[in-house]
Amino acid sequence: MKKYLAILKMQVINNLAYPGDFLGRSVSIAVFLFIFAGLWQTTYIIAGTASINGLTFANMMWYLMMAETIELGRPRTNRIISEQVKNGEVAYILSKPYNFVLYHFSFGLGDGLMRIVINILVGILVTWLLAGPPPSLLGWGMALITMVGAWILHFCMMALIGLAAFVVEETNSFELIYQKFVFVLGGMMLPLDLFPQWLQEIVRVLPFPYMMYAPARLFVKPEFDLFLQMLAGQWFWVGVLVVLLALAYRGSEKVLTVNGG
Amino acid sequence: MKNIKFLFALWKANLQAALEFRAAFLTQIIFMMINNGAYFMFWFLYFDKFKNVRGWTLQDMMLLYGIAATAWGLAAYFFGHFTTLGEVIANGRLDYYLSLPKPVLLHVLASKSLGSGMGDVIYGIGSFILSGYLSWDGFLRYVLGVLAGVCIFISFLTIIQSLSFWLGNTVALSQIALSALLTFSLYPSALFNSATKFVLLTIIPAALVGTVPAEFVRSFTWSSLLQMSAGALIFLVLAVSMFRSGLRRYESGSAIQVEV
Repeated sequence: MKKYLAILKMQVINNLAYPGDFLGRSVSIAVFLFIFAGLWQTTYIIAGTASINGLTFANMMWYLMMAETIELGRPRTNRIISEQVKNGEVAYILSKPYNFVLYHFSFGLGDGLMRIVINILVGILVTWLLAGPPPSLLGWGMALITMVGAWILHFCMMALIGLAAFVVEETNSFELIYQKFVFVLGGMMLPLDLFPQWLQEIVRVLPFPYMMYAPARLFVKPEFDLFLQMLAGQWFWVGVLVVLLALAYRGSEKVLTVNGG
Repeated sequence: MKNIKFLFALWKANLQAALEFRAAFLTQIIFMMINNGAYFMFWFLYFDKFKNVRGWTLQDMMLLYGIAATAWGLAAYFFGHFTTLGEVIANGRLDYYLSLPKPVLLHVLASKSLGSGMGDVIYGIGSFILSGYLSWDGFLRYVLGVLAGVCIFISFLTIIQSLSFWLGNTVALSQIALSALLTFSLYPSALFNSATKFVLLTIIPAALVGTVPAEFVRSFTWSSLLQMSAGALIFLVLAVSMFRSGLRRYESGSAIQVEV
């Protein structure tokens, strides 16, 4: 455990060395929120109502802020594994006395933590200016708890995609498509509440809503029943994906070919 | 004429290089098309609920995506270094291009090709056809809009990345500029207030690669044509001047660089 904490700490320190770079990158959350404020402000005016499917304009903006923070803070594990396979560094990591997957978990968490903190700070500032004060403390609490499960789900998916690099080396295309599925089916760009009923029913049996919709929706509308339901669904999918990841890792180890180093 | 022949020779070499890894090239194209299609699902869901936003319908959004994706794809496929020019400058990799009797900027930009760009082009054309604006004059206006878009994408990023001659590494800055330009270009300017619209026509010319060409295809107006062509010309002149002016300050170390 100690060694994984050391990896996490090392990555946080690495990121702290370039605060300007980090702040610069958080401009994208401001651009995203600004565009969506324009879109939803117009939509609410045209619809002539203060609430659409139970969500007000302020709810919508804080929802989007939380969803975008999760997206920007999700691990980029597949890119790192892919790079390590291409440059041969993977041979060095595999020979060390730590578990390859857990190494990437700690590395990704160290990296993601910093991005989440910076983006949430910039996001709060921009959203407060665009839509008024943030939701209640209960919302923050439920969102933070479900963000843990959401981050683990993202990690499992990114690691699964990353392990494909053991076979195909380049995994960016897979990540792009996965990202778009989370954007749409995960409810990042549009809350599930606004989906047609038939699609809501399909989407709710997939893991995507638990990665994005769960924390963002609970953040703006903290309901205890929904919280328990989301938590159960989230950890069910964590279980499924962890098993899949363990199996995939075993299989990948056998087919890995290292070209350089 | 000599430069055009040179460009075609570069493009031919890039294509031959890509075809060496045929499966990877095709995969990039197909995946980019799926990626764009998946992203566009948002608009299907949005318009399923709201039908129309300030005069923009699902068909209009298809047109907007068609133009922006084709313009981006052509720029990425034929002038692939336009997103990484800053790194070439900061890492002293211009030495190779300077030693050859060819126009430096053109040579750098066209010496790289992003295979995924072809996926954007195919998606963009498909999206334009499906938008319902396909007619002879509509097609001509679409081509004009795309050409202006290509010119603005490349020129804007060349301007930002030419700052590397003065500032050194501009990777983070160019990423921000690129992300802002691309993101804003995929939404109609009608969503924003006048001040933002002005910014999107000048400082971050996203409206000139998205909204303005889309409005031009929807119905011909001299004002759209003027905005597009003047914008493309001004940004092109600025990009070339800035690159040339920066090039006079260029210096590099003695690192051995290999350009493939």
